[in-house]
Amino acid sequence: MLRPFLLFLLLLLPGLTAMAQQPGPGRAPDANASVTLSGYLRDAANGEALVGASVFVKALAVGATANEYGFYSLTLPKGTYTITYTYLGYEAQETPLTLTTSLTRSVRLATRGVQTSEVLITGQKPDENVKSTEMSVNRLDLKQVKLMPALLGEVDVIRSIQLLPGISTVGEGAAGFNVRGGGVDQNLILLDEAPIYNASHLFGLFSTFNPDAVKDIKLVKGGIPAQYGGRLSSLLDVRMKEGNTQRLGVSGGVGLIMSRLAVEAPIVKDKGSFIVAGRRSYGDLFLKLIPAQKDNQAYFYDLSMKANYTLGTQDRLYVSGYLGRDVFAFGKDFKNTLGNRTGTVRWNHVLNARLFANVTGVVSKYDYGLGVPEGNQAFDWKSNIVNYNLKADFNYYRTPQSTLNFGAGAIYYTFLPGRVTPGNASSIFRPLALDEQQAVEYDAYLDNEQTFSARLSAQYGLRLSMFDYLGAGTVFDYEGPDGRQKTPVNPRQYGAGKVIKRYPNLEPRASLRYALSETSSLKASYNRMVQYIHLVSNTTASSPLDVWTPSTNNIRPEKADQVAVGYFRNFQDNAYEASVEVFGKRMDNQIDYINGANTLLNKNLEAELLYGRGRAYGAEFYVKKNQGDFTGWISYTLSRSERQINGLNNNDWYVNKYDKTHYLSVVGLYQLNPRWTLSGTFSYSTGIATTFPDSRYSYQGLIIPNVNGDVRNNYRVPAYHRLDLAATREGKTDPNRRWHGSWTFSVYNAYARRNAYSIYFRQNKDNPLRTEAVRLSVLGSVLPSASYNFNF
Amino acid sequence: MTRFLFFLLILLGPFGLTGCVDALEVKIPEGRPLLAVEGEITDQPGPYLVRLTKTAPYFEEDALPRVRGAVLTLADNEGHQETLREIGPGTYATSTLRGKVGNQYVLTIRSEGEEYRAETEIRRTPEIDSIRAEFRAKTATQNEGYYILYYGEETPGVGDYYRFKVFHNGILLNQPNDLIVTNDEFVDGNYINGVELTSEKGANDKPFAKGDRVRVVAESLPRDYFYFLNEMVTQLNNVGLFAAPPANVRTNVRNVQPGSDKAAVGYFAGHTVRADSLVIR
Repeated sequence: MLRPFLLFLLLLLPGLTAMAQQPGPGRAPDANASVTLSGYLRDAANGEALVGASVFVKALAVGATANEYGFYSLTLPKGTYTITYTYLGYEAQETPLTLTTSLTRSVRLATRGVQTSEVLITGQKPDENVKSTEMSVNRLDLKQVKLMPALLGEVDVIRSIQLLPGISTVGEGAAGFNVRGGGVDQNLILLDEAPIYNASHLFGLFSTFNPDAVKDIKLVKGGIPAQYGGRLSSLLDVRMKEGNTQRLGVSGGVGLIMSRLAVEAPIVKDKGSFIVAGRRSYGDLFLKLIPAQKDNQAYFYDLSMKANYTLGTQDRLYVSGYLGRDVFAFGKDFKNTLGNRTGTVRWNHVLNARLFANVTGVVSKYDYGLGVPEGNQAFDWKSNIVNYNLKADFNYYRTPQSTLNFGAGAIYYTFLPGRVTPGNASSIFRPLALDEQQAVEYDAYLDNEQTFSARLSAQYGLRLSMFDYLGAGTVFDYEGPDGRQKTPVNPRQYGAGKVIKRYPNLEPRASLRYALSETSSLKASYNRMVQYIHLVSNTTASSPLDVWTPSTNNIRPEKADQVAVGYFRNFQDNAYEASVEVFGKRMDNQIDYINGANTLLNKNLEAELLYGRGRAYGAEFYVKKNQGDFTGWISYTLSRSERQINGLNNNDWYVNKYDKTHYLSVVGLYQLNPRWTLSGTFSYSTGIATTFPDSRYSYQGLIIPNVNGDVRNNYRVPAYHRLDLAATREGKTDPNRRWHGSWTFSVYNAYARRNAYSIYFRQNKDNPLRTEAVRLSVLGSVLPSASYNFNF
Repeated sequence: MTRFLFFLLILLGPFGLTGCVDALEVKIPEGRPLLAVEGEITDQPGPYLVRLTKTAPYFEEDALPRVRGAVLTLADNEGHQETLREIGPGTYATSTLRGKVGNQYVLTIRSEGEEYRAETEIRRTPEIDSIRAEFRAKTATQNEGYYILYYGEETPGVGDYYRFKVFHNGILLNQPNDLIVTNDEFVDGNYINGVELTSEKGANDKPFAKGDRVRVVAESLPRDYFYFLNEMVTQLNNVGLFAAPPANVRTNVRNVQPGSDKAAVGYFAGHTVRADSLVIR
């Protein structure tokens, strides 16, 4: 059944056994001369793994980088060396070592300067921008993000990444984000390896990630390594904190909308730790004070948990979980709940000093329910997507110049597109359910990070992915002209577990770096991405009721080929980093909808889908100042994103609603003195594309807008721009007190611009002959806020 | 179910977010005029009317230009056919044809050198049991006042589509959000035991009150006409975070002139008419 995969795995296996046996006497040609130095790099204060920290041997000019779990491995000729361990923001450690045999050496680095218990995570070497093979990658420094202005004072990682080049949104309050002209469902959002299917609370105003529980955020827009797949546009890799292995730590905050609390502590000092972090909004508590509103509920909460434990020197176990929920209710008239829940178990195993393995098991579910609890229209409507994922990933540190990454995995999906049950015996509604759907996605990959010379390095690999759309189920073909509702024909029944349709794909990936000098480099990348599951969303912003659908016999996997080239340069001893990237992307099997399509609870949804091509291209400019009292960045993107769908816009190309010609962000942080930090962000972007009518007619006294030629997205809403300001006041640092508090004051939309979320057309209520254009702005005035944060 | 999606949108209200709407000047070009058709045939005695106009620039407030001198013929599947008379500028009427449940109709329009055709049918209909006015206390989503409720059987077998019109003291409730169209997908064959057709407010935003006359018209619609009206509902109330993409509402008027690309808009619809009325006491 899985022949191509077995074949691929068989090809991998001999290599794997060979690797597992190394280093052993007489096996590798250089085994007698080489020894391997390996171990973990951790934060001295709290034991967190230092992802991306580096180990360097100056005499040989070779080095290694710690992986996502802080593991490093460096194979060297026998000898005496000075080993340097460095990480940005931490005191470097230099240790003379005489290596005659392989050695495990785990190192703890201390944060530079004043020792506080706050985690400082930057994940970058100062010259990473120039030296790394990676391109089109953005990392967020959470410490910096926490000082930046935030909507209602709530730090939000998804809002913050929208200040980076190539990343935009269809409007404030809209869920998700768009990367390099891709849809919101084309981003693989992973929280500790578990996919998050709806990363928003409150329809998009806040993201699901609790900043207190997040350790590292990385967004990859291009040159995506072979390890990752399943979405066309990007990978947002969010990793949770591991928990303090040294002592109890508590942090939290109180804001206008919600409060947060996180507790972390060792389970056994130096062996294991945990973190539990929760947030809850309390808008509903105010509702209770208003008599007319007391039966109404509107709140959300989330809980992030993670624990890890070291089982001997070779093994470490991580367990993490997430539970988020939004609840809305109008008395007994209406109720809606929705949210994500995930669970991840990871087992790190050091097979030997040069081979690191990680086995991951994931469960993730997004579901919503809505309904009327009582009365003759009582009903209950449920929908969900669930996946189970099992995978194994390996890092093989072949030589200091080459690291092989390989692995394989499978994801089993179930989809419940919608099921309605009557709420009671007297309900007018009847039971109605769309068929549940099942699918499996397989992948296997092999990838090599290779340094050819001091100037030239590359990362290249191949991913083999395959998708099986499985029974039980009834499938149809659809007949009729594009652009109108089609007719289902030729029904076929499939039994449980039977493959209805199989899609195998090869996804090559490559990135290349050529150093022009110590401070500048050229990079290029190519990646092919394939996406097998799709969010069916026909609204301006994706709604929490949108349903994910698998590729089927009719819906084919989306594919994208992306090429990017870039010039990277650092200035003034890495105080400034800068880059210019140009990208081009071609996308196939893009999904769109006929006019008036109904995407919810539609038994013949596929009758209303259209398929076509997409293309996106652009240039991204980025300058960042990393050092000094004044830090920040400027990001500017010039881009275009279009699609051509038979049945829409007369089969011609048209711009996507999320196409933004210009997109500018300016972020500045100024440390006034040790206690006060001021910050500001400004963003400007072209308004989203939309369709304006050019004429009108009347039907039974109502005026209907019409556009000649049935064109799409022929206009733009006015440009979007906004200034936010913030000031943070740190509490006094008192060595005798563990309590540390800070106040953040922020102003969102400082000059109160009424940015248009959309423009629509309507007839005047009082004079039906008059028609008008109307602007909807979501956050159209100044929103000040204050929040207090603490840790001890 | 769209009503419940609407609830989701107003959810943002309690959070005191500063979402707001305001009118705005936008410049848009003037589209070229197209034939706009508005007409119907029902299972009630005629004459049946068809009104022809031209589309006008979106912001033009004048009445739409009438299309005079067109030749309209209406035929049914039983072999009856007649040419409509122009009884007023742009208004055309039948004289003999009688609409009947189960029949199909073709309207042909010849105007300004073009020929258009619209096809429709009259579908089966359930009968109204009763309508009632119920006084309700204030709840989380409803104000205090009289609500107009519908009672009646729904015909077994999925594929029925309905529109309800409410007249308050003789005035049709006809704001964009008064358009009520629905299908039987969720209620097939069930007894509809009191579903609100209105809020507590009637015509001109005045609450229903004792002594008011209320008339309800139930229409059973062809499937495509239901989609036409449903798209109208979407496009005329298209606001909010989760608005649908603005798009033209469908039409069943097709240009059949070979080689012509002149489109038409609007609808010629067949439907039944059942009515009931009451006086609020």
